[in-house]
Amino acid sequence: MAAIGIHFGHTCACVAIFKDGRADVVANDAGDRVTPAVVGYRDSEQIVGIAAKQGQVRNAANTVVKVKQVLGRRFDDPVTQTHRTETKCPIIQKEDKPYYEITCGEQTQHVAPEDVAKQIFNKMKETAQSALGSDVTDTVITVPFEFAHSQKCALREAAEAAGFNVLRMIHEPSAALLAYNIGQDSSSGKSHVLVYKLGGTSLNVTVLQINGGLIRVLSTYTDHGIGGESFTQALVQHLASEFKRSFKHDVSGNPRALLKLMNSADMVKHSLSSLGSANCFVDSLHEGVDFECTVSRARFELLCSSLFNKSIQPIRSLLSEAGLSASDINKVVLCGGSARIPRLQHLIQDLFPDVELLNSFPPDELIAVGAAIEAGLLVGRDHLGPEDESVEVDVSAADILLKELDESGAEAFTVLLPSGTPLPARRHHVLSGEGKLSSFCLEIYQRFMEEQPEQLSKIILRDLQPKEEKHNIDAVVTMKRDGSLHVSCAAQSNGKSEAITITAAS
Amino acid sequence: MLLEAKNGEETVVYKAAAASVQVLVEPVGRWFEAYIRRRNRNLSASFQELEEEEESSEDEEDEEFQLEEHPMLRTLDPKDWKNQDHYAVLGLPHLRYKATQRQIKAAHKVIVLKHHPDKRKAAGEQIAEGDNDYFTCITKAIEILSDPVKRRAFDSVDPTFDNTVPSKGEGKEKFFEVFSPVFERNARWSSKKTVPSLGTPDSSFEEVDSFYTFWYNFDSWREFSYLDEEEKEKAECRDERRWIEKQNRASRAQRKKEEMNRIRTLVDTAYSCDPRIKKFKEEEKARKESEKKAKAEAKKREQEEKEKARQAELEVVRLAKEKEEEEARQAAQQAKKEKEIQKKAFKKERQKLRSTCKNWNYFADNEVDSVKMMEEVEKLCDRLELTSLQSLNEILASGSKEESKAAVEKQVEEVNIQLQKEKESEAQARQAARSAEQASGGGGGGKGWNEEDLQLLIKAVNLFPAGTNARWEVIANYMNLHSTSGMKRTAKDVINKAKNLQKLDPLQKDEINRKAFEKFKKEHTSVPPSIDKATPSERFDGSEGNAAPWTTEEQKLLEQALKTYPVSTPERWEKIAATVPGRSKKDCMKRYKELVEMVKAKKAALEQVEAKNKK
Repeated sequence: MAAIGIHFGHTCACVAIFKDGRADVVANDAGDRVTPAVVGYRDSEQIVGIAAKQGQVRNAANTVVKVKQVLGRRFDDPVTQTHRTETKCPIIQKEDKPYYEITCGEQTQHVAPEDVAKQIFNKMKETAQSALGSDVTDTVITVPFEFAHSQKCALREAAEAAGFNVLRMIHEPSAALLAYNIGQDSSSGKSHVLVYKLGGTSLNVTVLQINGGLIRVLSTYTDHGIGGESFTQALVQHLASEFKRSFKHDVSGNPRALLKLMNSADMVKHSLSSLGSANCFVDSLHEGVDFECTVSRARFELLCSSLFNKSIQPIRSLLSEAGLSASDINKVVLCGGSARIPRLQHLIQDLFPDVELLNSFPPDELIAVGAAIEAGLLVGRDHLGPEDESVEVDVSAADILLKELDESGAEAFTVLLPSGTPLPARRHHVLSGEGKLSSFCLEIYQRFMEEQPEQLSKIILRDLQPKEEKHNIDAVVTMKRDGSLHVSCAAQSNGKSEAITITAAS
Repeated sequence: MLLEAKNGEETVVYKAAAASVQVLVEPVGRWFEAYIRRRNRNLSASFQELEEEEESSEDEEDEEFQLEEHPMLRTLDPKDWKNQDHYAVLGLPHLRYKATQRQIKAAHKVIVLKHHPDKRKAAGEQIAEGDNDYFTCITKAIEILSDPVKRRAFDSVDPTFDNTVPSKGEGKEKFFEVFSPVFERNARWSSKKTVPSLGTPDSSFEEVDSFYTFWYNFDSWREFSYLDEEEKEKAECRDERRWIEKQNRASRAQRKKEEMNRIRTLVDTAYSCDPRIKKFKEEEKARKESEKKAKAEAKKREQEEKEKARQAELEVVRLAKEKEEEEARQAAQQAKKEKEIQKKAFKKERQKLRSTCKNWNYFADNEVDSVKMMEEVEKLCDRLELTSLQSLNEILASGSKEESKAAVEKQVEEVNIQLQKEKESEAQARQAARSAEQASGGGGGGKGWNEEDLQLLIKAVNLFPAGTNARWEVIANYMNLHSTSGMKRTAKDVINKAKNLQKLDPLQKDEINRKAFEKFKKEHTSVPPSIDKATPSERFDGSEGNAAPWTTEEQKLLEQALKTYPVSTPERWEKIAATVPGRSKKDCMKRYKELVEMVKAKKAALEQVEAKNKK
C-alpha cells in the first residue's frame, strides 16, 4: 500500500511517497524535489511551482505567494493585514474572509486562499502519482504547531478538494522526528530532542520528549519574523548597494529589478551553502545595465551575522522555559531549507557541544518524509483512531527510583520507571547484588523533577544462597493507569520471590 | 549493586505513589498507533466475543438437518428431469431455497450412498440401462442445485411458490392477515437483503412509507431461464443457436414483465386496501383543512382589523369635518349677527339723520328746497358709511342749525362728487368696451373674407400646421401672396378668422362646403375651353391618370421611391411608378410636380417672414 506525505510550507511544498517500506521524496515535473508554493494566474491557466515563481517578475499582481499565511484566517486578522501589505496581489474582503483579486485578461475573479492551496495540492498529487504510476489519495499532511483549528480545517478542506483522503494531520516537529526514526525502534527509554526548523519565513524551535515511544511537546517557540527570506533580503540589500556603487543606479525604486535581484540572490544563497563563493549575474537589471558580482561565504556570513544571532537566541530561552539544560537534550534535528547554512549549523553545534546534530537528510525534505512514514503506518487501517490532532494519555507523574550502591560504595539512584512514561507500563530490570550476601533490600523511591526523592517502600528478599558470582534478581515494575505501582522481584538462582503493590494517591 | 537487607527488616509500604497525570502526546509513530489500538481493543472486547459466538452457533445448525426421502424417487423418469423437484429428489423439500450449499452437498452425499447403481447392484437390485436409471435424476438435481446460477434459475420457478395475489375484496376485510404472508413470501425475490415488513396497524408514517417505497421500487432477481423451451445446447449450428437464444430471451422478457406486473398489482392492491394509508390520507386531509381554516380565519381576522381601522379613520375624519362645519356655522352666525347689528345701527343712524334733518326742517325754508334736501338726505342715508353717518349725526346733534346745515351740505356735495365720478368711470368703461368691439370687428375681420380667401386660409392653415415657426405670420403672408382679393391681412386677422371658422356651427360649415363645391363645378365647366391653351405637360393631367386623391401610404411610398432613385437613375419615373401600386408614371410625375410647387410656396412664405423678422 502506498501513501503520501505532504509538507505544505509558506514558501515551498514537498511531497514524499511511502512505498515498499520506505519513504522517499519525489521530484516534480521540473526535476526539483521541492516545489515553490507559488501559484500564478494567467489568462487561460494557473501555473504552480517554479514557473509561477519565475513568472512573478512579469505577473506580480496575479501571482499568489505565501498563501499559508492567510489560509483559514479572517480578514481582520492582523496577520492577514500584514500579508496584505506585503504581497503584490490585491486582497479584498468578502464575508469577513480574505480573497485574492485576480485579473485574468478582461474579467476579475475572486480566489479564496483555499482554492490557491488546492492548486498546490493538486500539483503535489500529480507529482506523486506520476512517480507512482497509480492513483494514490491517502495522505498525511503536516501543520505547524501554532496552527489554529480553523487553519487546520482550511488546510484539510483544500487537500480534500484536491482529491486527497487526509489520514491525519501531524505537527511538523513530530514528522521530523519520525524521519530520523527517533524513538521508533524500542518503546522503552526516555529522551529529549530539540527540533530546529528554519523555513522560508519562520523559525520554529521545539523541545520534545520521547517516552515509551510516545512523543510529547514540552515547549515550542515560533518567530514569523525570521527565515530564509530574511537572509535573501540582506543579500539583496548588499547586491543593490554594490550595483549602485559600480553603476550609480538605484534599483530600489524598480520593483521588477528587485524581484530579479531577489531570485538571483536566492541562487547565490543556495550556492553559498556548499561553495566558498558564488557568482551573481543578472542580465539587464536596470535600464539595460547588466550586473555581475561575486559574493564570498564570509561576506554573506558577515551580512547576516545579526540575523544568525537572532535565529539562535530562541534556543536558550526555550530550554530554560522547559526547565532543561543543554546537556539534557539528546538529539538535535535540523530541518527547513535554511538549516543548510553552514554557519548556522556551527552555531547550533556550539550550543550543544556533546550532542549529535542530525542533518544527514536534506532538511527541506525531512518533514515530508516524516509525514510519508506516518502515512505508511496509517494506510489500510480501519480505525484511524482519534480525529483530534493531540491525544491525552495517562503518564506517570514521578520517576520511580531504586536506591543502590555505585562502584565506590556511595548510595545512588537507578531509574526504574522514568516520569512521563505512558501507562499502563511494565518494565523489566535485572538487578545484581553481591554474591556473598544472602539477603537484599530494594528501597523504592519516587522523585518529582528536581526535588529530593521520597521513599515509597522497601522490599526484603532473604534466604539466598551465597555464591561466588553475582546474584541476579529479576525485577518487574508495573504501573497501572491510575498510577498504582506493582513491584515483584525474584532471584534467578532459586526462584525466591517477593512482591508488593503500592496504591496510588487519589 | 543492591543494598543488603538488615536484620529485622520487613517488606513494607511507606506511602502511596503519586497518581498518574494526563498529558497531550503527538499522534505519530508506531508506538502511538499500538497504544491507541490497545486502548480501543480494551473497549470493544465484548463485541468481538459476541460475534464469535454467533458464528459458532451457525456452524452447529448446519449439521442438524433431516432428510426426507422422496416417496416417488424410484419411479422418476430421467428424461423428464426438467419437471422434477430437485429439492425433493435430494430429500430437502422442507428447506428448499433456504438450504445452504453445505446442506445440499451433505444431502447429496447421503442420497448417493444409498441410491448409487453400484450399491443397489450389490444389494441385488435390477438396474436400468445407462441413462435410464433414476440415479440420473439425482445427478441432475445436484448439478442444478450446486451451481448458484442454475439453482437461482430453478428457485425462480419453484413449483411450490404461490404466485397468487390477493384480491381487493379479501384484502379489505383482514388486511394484515391476508397481505402479511404474501409480502413475506415475495420478499425472497428481493435483491436487497433487508426487506421492510408490512408492520402493524400502528406503524408510523415513515415505516409505511418506506415499506411502499421499497415495494414500488422492488428489485427482483427472479428470472425465467429455467423455463426456456428451446435448449441452446441442442442447436446444430451457430445460426440456430442464435435463433434459439433470441426466442428464449423474448420469452424470458415476457415472463419477467408478467412477474413485475404481478408484484406491481400486489403492491397496488395492498396500497389501495391498506387501512393505514387511508388513515394517513384522512389525517393529511384533516390537517390541510385545519390549516386552510386557520389561514382563512387569519385572513378574516386581518380583514376585520383592517375594516375596523378604516372605520376608525373615517370616524376621525367625520368628527373633524363636523367640528369644522360647526365652527363655520358659528362663524357665519356670528357674522350674521354682526351684520344685523350693523344693519340696525345703520337703520338707527339713518333714522336719526332723517329725524334730525326733519327736526331742522331740512334746513330749508320752502317746500321745494326741503323736498330737494330730503332727496339729498335720502341719498346721504344710502351712500354714507356707518362711521361718517355717526359723525354726521354727532355734528348734527351737537351743532346749531347752521353748522348742521353746512355739514350736511358738505356731505351731500361729497356724495354727489362721488356719484359723478362713478358715473363717469362707468361711461368711460362703456365707451372702452364699445371701441374694443369696434376694433375687433372692424380691423379687416368680419367682412372682406370672401369664399376664396376662406378656402385659401383653410389651405394655408393645413399647409402650415401647428408648430411651424411664426405660424400665423407665415399664414398671413401666404394669404397676401396668393389672395385674389388684394386685401392685406395681418397675423391677428388671420388668427381671428381661423378661430371663427373653427367655432362655426355645422350649418355654416355645410354652407361653406356647398359654396366651395359650386365654385369647383363652375371652374371645371370653365376648364374645357382652356384645354387648347394648356401646356403639353398639363395636357395628360386630367382624363387618363388616376384622379383619386393620394393617400398617405401612397405618398409615403412615393417619397421613399424618390429617395431611392435619385435624379441620375435611368428610367427613373418608370421605377418610381413601379414602387407605388395603383399609380401610373404620369400620376407620379404630376404628384411630384404638385409637391414641388407646394414646397416652393412654403419656402417662399417662410423666407419672407424671416426676412421681415430680420428687419
